[in-house]
This record gives sequence, C-alpha cells and structure tokens, in this order.
Amino acid sequence: MELSEHIRTANVEDVTLRRPFHPALRGTLCVTSHHLLFSDRKDEDSWQLLILLRNIDATEKSVENLFGYPRAVGSSGTITIKCKDLLVLQLEIPGMEECLNIASSIEALSALESVTEMYPFFYRPSHLTLHGPWGLSSTEKYYKQTERLWDRWRVSTVNSDYSVCPSYPHAVIVPREVDDEKLVQSARFRQGGRFPVLSYCHHRNGMVIMRSSQPLTGANRKRCKEDELLLQAVIDGSLLGYIIDLRSTQQAQQARMTGGGFESKSCYSHWKRIHRHHERGKVLQESLIKLVEACSDPSHSVDRWLSKLENSKWLSHVHSALSTAGLVVECVERDGHSVLVHGSEGTDSTLLVSSLAQLILDPASRTLTGFLGLLERDWIQAGHPFQQRCAHSAYSHARLKQECPSFLLLLDCVWQVWRQFPLALEFSEALLLRLAQEVYASNYGTFLCNNEQERCAAGVKENTHCLFQSLLSPDIEEQYLNPLYEPTDLAIWPSVHPQSLQLWTGLFLRWTEYAQNMEEAREEVWSIVKEHRERAGPDRTNNTPSTHCDTLTPFENLMDELTIL
Amino acid sequence: MASAPIAPYNSSPLGISSSQNASRESLKMEPLADVAVLPGEERVIDKEIIYICPFNSAVKGKVSITNYRLYFKNTDSETPVTLNVPLGVISRVEKMGGASSRGENSYGLEITCKDMRNLRFALKQEGHSRRDIFEILFKYAFPLSHGMQLFAFLSQEKYEENGWNVYEPLEEYRRQGLPNSEWRVTFINKNYELCDTYPTILVVPYKATDEDLRRVATFRSRCRIPVLSWFHKENHAVITRCSQPLVGMSGKRNKDDERYLDIIRDANGTIKLTIYDARPNVNAVANKATGGGYEGDDAYQNAELVFLDIHNIHVMRESLKKLKDIVYPNVEESHWLSSLESTHWLEHIKLVLSGAIQVADKVSSGNSVVVHCSDGWDRTAQLTSLSMLMLDSYYRTLGGFQVLLEKEWIGFGHKFASRIGHGDKNHADQDRSPIFLQFIDCVWQMTKQFPTAFEFNERLLVVILDHLYSCRFGTFLYNCESARESNNVRVKTVSLWSLINSDTSLYINPFYTPESSRVLYPVASMRHLELWVTYYIRWNPRIQHQQQSPVEQRYKELLALRDQYLKKLEELQLSDSTPSSTHLTNSSAPNAATPNQHITHLQTPF
Repeated sequence: MELSEHIRTANVEDVTLRRPFHPALRGTLCVTSHHLLFSDRKDEDSWQLLILLRNIDATEKSVENLFGYPRAVGSSGTITIKCKDLLVLQLEIPGMEECLNIASSIEALSALESVTEMYPFFYRPSHLTLHGPWGLSSTEKYYKQTERLWDRWRVSTVNSDYSVCPSYPHAVIVPREVDDEKLVQSARFRQGGRFPVLSYCHHRNGMVIMRSSQPLTGANRKRCKEDELLLQAVIDGSLLGYIIDLRSTQQAQQARMTGGGFESKSCYSHWKRIHRHHERGKVLQESLIKLVEACSDPSHSVDRWLSKLENSKWLSHVHSALSTAGLVVECVERDGHSVLVHGSEGTDSTLLVSSLAQLILDPASRTLTGFLGLLERDWIQAGHPFQQRCAHSAYSHARLKQECPSFLLLLDCVWQVWRQFPLALEFSEALLLRLAQEVYASNYGTFLCNNEQERCAAGVKENTHCLFQSLLSPDIEEQYLNPLYEPTDLAIWPSVHPQSLQLWTGLFLRWTEYAQNMEEAREEVWSIVKEHRERAGPDRTNNTPSTHCDTLTPFENLMDELTIL
Repeated sequence: MASAPIAPYNSSPLGISSSQNASRESLKMEPLADVAVLPGEERVIDKEIIYICPFNSAVKGKVSITNYRLYFKNTDSETPVTLNVPLGVISRVEKMGGASSRGENSYGLEITCKDMRNLRFALKQEGHSRRDIFEILFKYAFPLSHGMQLFAFLSQEKYEENGWNVYEPLEEYRRQGLPNSEWRVTFINKNYELCDTYPTILVVPYKATDEDLRRVATFRSRCRIPVLSWFHKENHAVITRCSQPLVGMSGKRNKDDERYLDIIRDANGTIKLTIYDARPNVNAVANKATGGGYEGDDAYQNAELVFLDIHNIHVMRESLKKLKDIVYPNVEESHWLSSLESTHWLEHIKLVLSGAIQVADKVSSGNSVVVHCSDGWDRTAQLTSLSMLMLDSYYRTLGGFQVLLEKEWIGFGHKFASRIGHGDKNHADQDRSPIFLQFIDCVWQMTKQFPTAFEFNERLLVVILDHLYSCRFGTFLYNCESARESNNVRVKTVSLWSLINSDTSLYINPFYTPESSRVLYPVASMRHLELWVTYYIRWNPRIQHQQQSPVEQRYKELLALRDQYLKKLEELQLSDSTPSSTHLTNSSAPNAATPNQHITHLQTPF
C-alpha cells in the first residue's frame, strides 16, 4: 500500500490552529506522507507549523453534528493533537468528513511499522549528502583511543554476522585470553546471547565496566565453564570484582524459574554480587504517563501538585538510576575493582547504569562529542531497542507493547548531573531536549531500528542522514554547548537526596511560559559570553571548531581573552 | 545546586563580616580564634562545653559569648567544628534536663533559632555548671527584656558607604515622575500626626486636600489612608496602599473615603478602580466584627473588589514551623514531596506571587489599583513591593532593591520589631511571623525564573535575611519610621546597606542583562515553584556536600573556580552595563562605585 493511499483529504481551507503562546490562526492544513503542514497563506513560502507525523502520539477528535446532515453548513470537527515532544495543539476543521479523513490519515501515517517507509529515508536536505561519514564512535575506535586496553583486551568480530548475539554490534571488546569459541559458549549461556563485553575502561586505574544480560542458570543451577572463565579473565589476578545485578535478590531468584538466574558465589568465587532493584518496562512507562498527566493538568489551582509528582514515582526512578550509577563508580574509582552490570535482558537499565557511571567517571564522556559517542556505543550499537521502546510516548492510548522511556530517563539523569555540576558538562540542556525529541521522531536515521543487524538490513547508513554528525556541524553545534564549561578530571558524584533531585521542567513543562523565560535567559548568558569573546579579537571568532573536542573550550577561550584584557 | 556557594554548616552565616575594620582593643581574654570580632563587640564569658551536633555526634569545645554572638570551636579533634551565631538569631533559650537526669549529655541548654536551626549544648552535671551561661545568654540574647540595648547601638563599625543615604523619598518619587498634575507630595504627616505608622512624606491625589486626608484617616484602620506607592509613567495608572476601611458590623459608610477613592480612580481616567483585598473573603467579613471590613459594592460604585485569599500572619507562622520540622535537623526523606506539600509553604508563596501578578497586570494595562489587607503592613507590603518588582526594572538593580525595601517595607511600617521580636524574650508572641522571609522567598522564586533580570544574586537575599535577625544593623529595627526617629536609629546605628554597598561585588549577578521596559510575570503555578533549599536546608551538611568526600571537596573548588570566572565576567559586565552615554556624563550609575575601573574603557565593537 502506498503511503499516499492513506490520504483521502490532502488539503483543507479555513482551518483554525490553536497552540501554546500563539494567537489562534486561520489557514490551510495539508497532510503529506510524513508531515502535517499549516499555513495562513499570508506568506506563500512560510509554514506556520510543520509537524512530523511520527511525532504525533495521540489524536482526539470531536465532531459536532455527528448525527446531523453529512455535509451541512457549519458542521465541523476539532482534532486535538498530542505530540511525543509533549506539545498539544488543536485544529478546528470545517466539514465533518474532512475532519474524519484528516484524523484517520494522521492515525495511519503516524504509526508506520516499516522502517524504510519512515521519513529519515526520504529526508534529503540540500546541505547534506549521503554516503558521508556516519556516526562518531564505534567499538574499534574506542579500542584504538584507549591505550590501556591494548595489552589485555582485544576486539572480537565473532559476532560479525550477528549470529552469536543478534542485538550486539559486529565487534565487541573482550579479554585477550578468551578466544572466540569461548565467547560463543558464553553467549549461549546468556539471555539473548548478550555475553559480558567491555563498556568502559577507567583511565585512572584500568578497571573496567562490563555489561551483559542475565546468565541462564535456570532452576537446576546450570553452569557454563566458558562464561566463568570469561569473567575470571576480566579481573585477571585481582581478587575481586563486583556484579551489580539490577534486580532485587528476590527477583533474581524468581528469574530462575523462567530459565534465567544470577551468578552464584560458588561458581564465580571472585565476584561479589550486589542487588539493586530497578523498575523496568511497563512500570517506567506508566510512571512517565502519570507524570505527564500531572504536568499537563490545566488547572492552575492548588492541585496537590507535589503529591502527584511524588505519586508518579518518576523522580524515584531518577534516584535509583543515579544512585546505582554512583555505586558502580564507587566500586571502580574508590575501591579499584572491575564491575559487571546486568539486569535481565541487559538492554535497558543495564545501559542506563553503565552509561551514567561513565558520565560520572570519565571526563571524555562529558564533552559534546564524547557524550554523543557514548550514546552511540552504549545505546545504539549496544542494542537498545529504540524502535520498540519509543513507538509511543506519554499520551498514546494504544495498548502498551514494549514501550519504555529508558532513554528519556537517562537524559533526565544527565540533566540532574548537569544541574548539580553546571560547569562539568560541555553540552547544554538544549542538547538533551533535542535528543529527547529526536529519539521519538526524527528526520535522521540515528535512532531507527532496534539493533545494528536491523539497521544494516534496512540500509540505514546508506539511506539516511546521521543526527550526531549534523549536531556537530559548526553552525549548529554552538547552541548545544555549555557556555560555562570547565573540564575537570575528577569524578562528579551527584547528590541523590530528594531535595537535590528536581523535576526536569525544561522537558516536562516545556510548553509553558516558564520554559520560554529560561530559554531567553540562556540566550542572554550566551550572548554575554560571546560578546566578550568577540571583543577580545574578532579574528578568533572565525576559527571553525572543526574538531572541537580537543583543546579550545568556550570557557578557556574566555579565560584567554580575559588575560589578554 | 546551581546557586551561589553556601557557607558550610560549621561556618558563619554572616561569613563576610568585614575584617578590614579590625582595629579593636576590647578583648582582654585571648582573641576569638578564626573570627573577626566587630568593633564594639565585647567578650562576656568563655566556657568548656559540649556541642551536640545533629550531623556529627557530640563535639567537645569552648563556647565564647560576646554581646553580639555565640561562638563555638571544638577542641577535641583536628577537623574544625565551629558555630558563629549572632545572638539576635536566638528566639528561645531553655534548660535541658536537670541535675539528676540520666544519660550522657542530658544536662544542658537548648537554643531555638529564628533561622531554621536549633542548637543543643551539654555541660557537666555538677555544681550548677550551666547557671552562669544560661543567665548570660538569656540576658544578651534578649537585651530589650533586660533593659539593655541592642548590639546595633553598641557597634562601632565604620564603612566607606553610608547606607542611610540610599533612600531619599523625594528623589525616589521624582524618579517615578512625581509630583505631577495628578499627584502631589504632602507633608501633612511630618510630625506623624495623621498616621503614626506612615512615613513623613506621602504622595496623594492632587485633588484631595489635606483636610480630605484627615477625614479619610478617620475611616481607615490606624489612619493608614490610601497613598501612592508606584506610578506608571506611560499610562499613569498607580498602585496605592492603605489599611481596611472601618465598616464594622453596622456597615458604616464614609462619604469622604468613597470620594477619595474615586479621585484616585479619576486621576488617569480609569473606568473601574480595582481594590485588591489581600485576605480571603471570609476573613474580610470576619473583620467586621472588630470594626474593620471591606469596601462594599453599593458604597464604592466605581470600584471592583477582588479578594486574593492570602492567609494571615498566624497561618504563615505555623506553615514555616511545619517546614522547619521536616528540614531540621533531619530532612524527611521518604515522602519528601508530600511532606513538603503538607506544610503549605509553597502554596502560600504561590498565592502571594499570583496576587502580585494580578496587581502588576492590572496596572500595566492602565488601571489604577488600591491594595490593602487588614492593617496594610504585612500582606499589603508583600503585594505592592512584589508587583513593583515586576513592573519596574529599577527595583531589580542592587540599589533599586534597597530603595524598594526602604520604601515599601521599612518606610511604610512593616512591624519588623513585632514580627521578628528583636531582643525580646517572648518567643511565643503571637505577633511574630515570617512575612518578610516569605517576601524574600518570592523574590528568590522570581530570580530563579528570570536568571538574567536581577542585578543582585542569591547571596544578597541570604545576607539580608541573616541581618534581619542579627541586630547588628539598624535597618530592620523598630516597627515604623516614627519609632526609628525617636530612637535616633540613623545616627546611632549603622545601616545594613553600608555593609552591602561597601563591597557590592559579592552581591552582583554576573548574568544580569538590563532591560528597562519589560514587565516580568513569573509563573506562579505550583509546578514552577521550588523550595529554596539553599536557604532553608543550608545547615544540613549532607544537602550541600558530603563531608570527607574528595568529589565534594573538588566540587567546592569548582564552585570557587566558577566564582573566579564569574567575577571576571562580572568585571566585564560592569564595564558593559554602564552604556557609553553614562560613561561620558560620568553619572552615578550604581556600578560605578566598584574599584574595577581599569577595564571600563573598552570599546564595544558594534
């Protein structure tokens, strides 16, 4: 079926658009295969509104005169559109039939299942060309950059045809002394084939963070010699490693009934298991829905807001993610031990905890490129099923399948870190907001599919543009930089007391006046910083920060110029 | 926390005491270690004592009490634990345990403070060891109850700037464009004969004679007649303030009062004068029983009355008490948000802010307003000053904010002495209430929502609150101008603004971007209000930094680094915020007072 067949009414005149911060507008509404467009036709070329249909999470229609005349004068309908980026807007459409047609087009086209039909495969802006470099980081690149790994670790391509683990990338980093055959055995012993692989090597002491899925010990306590050897090789002679199991002890016990399990002390004698309970899947998604519901409750009365916020439990999920990440950091940095992180599947909270731990530990992951590279390695290539998790956001009435805001939770945690350490991250809140939007609906192919295998099959690299590349292009990059950035080599330990964690208003109350004020303030801060930079020497501003991750940061720039003054 | 660095729990809230004034001869005993004694400060007693720190355990040390402060320093370990508490902060001193109490450290003193903390000390259980220190503390913490003077009258501090000069009423009214053909300055109250709690200089409608004013005064509670607070230069709308009308149970009317409000309305041709009664409707009705009331529809036909539902001083006091219960000494962790909600503190903040927003909105759309509550010195001051802060960017500067406080709070008789209870032992006094703190909290909420709109920073607000209680400066002493005048406060004490203006760099927001014409409307929804953690929970070391953690240590260093950076930025900022025209005229822009002049001659490239 062609996409265009979903469109029965492509154009409607005299539509009224209502949205936050703007007066109601009258104009023409168009539906195309991937967009909803609105123009008041005062200026032919400019669209007042251009919404990616993929961004639409739910529509609600109310039609007046439903039982009246089919096309009577004055019959009209209203479609309320709720977007995945939490924007809510309304369209008043004259003509009942048109209204219903538009609504059904939106419903069909916003929920396309086939990846290659999605907009990134059609997005062809003039300033970008396909077949350029795709992505920023990879297993191989990370290995090359990390000298500490060269001696005891190797890159294995045992998964080059994705047969050992369908959700892993083609290359992974494993202990040098473990050969590919052992990896295959270990993969058979882990859920979804996700055998322990290296995620991070600490630059200070060489300790590592590994991640995997749960071992398939089952009810009769199966063992796998190769898996045990693999983990033994990880700690290599040191006496202790920590396994951070992201389930409660009880949950881990129960998992054995369904074929899963945990690493028992008797088989993994040098590893100490610590259990930390993390909510997953449906619970998280429902928490998000509750939170957004509370945030978009229109009554500004004294509406027991704080209780609602508390009841959504969102902040307690933020709390557990950050405190477990803190625990991992404690093991690696303070106690000097290697860590293996896993939950059940190893595709959600596992990635959340291991990437947050890196952000806290590793100055390199706090730069703009470093952070995007981390996301690329530890989320996209590591096989976080974006397509399943982000099919719907908080407004959808569709029955939940595999939706889960794990990535949003990561962004929120990063935001908390940024708020507590306003100097330590090179990127700004704007980047986090942009990512929160892109992950649900994007012009770019970066977040498409569930894993590398699927992306290869769909030809994502060949046929779509890369979001991260585009974020780093010199003219765009600046808005994502933190003007106050000042690198620090040390771990940045966030406080996780309830008073220290706050609602991410920038995201969840994005479409309010408040967010606008903050946006203006951000611009003013930037312009203050920039103005002084320019003042110090106009020639400097022409420096194109092509490989900007190396030396000159905005802050250092500024300090330079201050000394010149 | 993105906000300014906070003094660690064991250091002084007033850590910026000016040590340059250190010439002193008063001490016969060994000098107080680590702390600069103020000129005029005298040591009264030293004593070995145990400080029962709620965050560590019991700490052995020595306490010194002067006529200004309580200073404690530990003697039992390397890591210093100190306390530096101005005696003015103390609201209550109690004996804890008796000579026969059992258990370790059960015999001693418990001190309740006005700034969200309590202090407990233990002494040896023999020979009435606490008697002398208890009596001395009791005497010096509450000097007025013992026929002694507040420290502000004993202080010999000297500053470059004289803070008493920051506010000249006539100059401020002139800045607003007054007097003009609609509004005149009257000296009718020059001997406080019209109203003893108002300032001497008042601005009233041009068409109202002094005789009118006297007659209106008879119908307003405590003679606090409607007078002008702020004038909108473009649309000539005004904010006027007063107390409730004396309507009483019988529903009395007063033609002069009715006519007077109509003159206010008519001054800029407003069709309907809006009267904002800060109280909840029921309270306004209840006030009739005691002779008060509100403006009825039939009596004031060209006016509309709006109730703003802000509760009275007693409700606010209880709310803050509940807040203290959940943050000190231990923060309620398990149900933090719902416990916070149950204090209703943020809810009250919201009501005050949204009331002020309504006032500001009315005025900026060209309608004059009258604001009152019961007596017109608590909620009224909150509403007028907050709406003025929203409407007039001048009040958002460091100097303008001082003028705002001097004018709307100090000048118009917010009863600081009664609300705070300076030097008074009666801790349960029903007149005490954190109205001014609540106002400062509202200002803080605004600075959070508009991080670049205020020239001053959070530190200024904290320092103001600290000295609200400290009794080191005369600024917040007494209930009204007439009382300050008869006690010669301006001559015998130092103004808080002398301290502030002698080193303004500490209080400047580096990201301030002047914007003259913008009205700031903060979002007063509960969702956008935050608890001011860095004030209310500042004594809790865990909130700001975990002790002994190298990361936290480093974080503090980072903050210091940021300060350095901000300071440099601010120097640039200072050179920037005085536009070239003021450079040429060399006018007294508030920033020009700082010594960082060497960079002010940069050319702007555009």
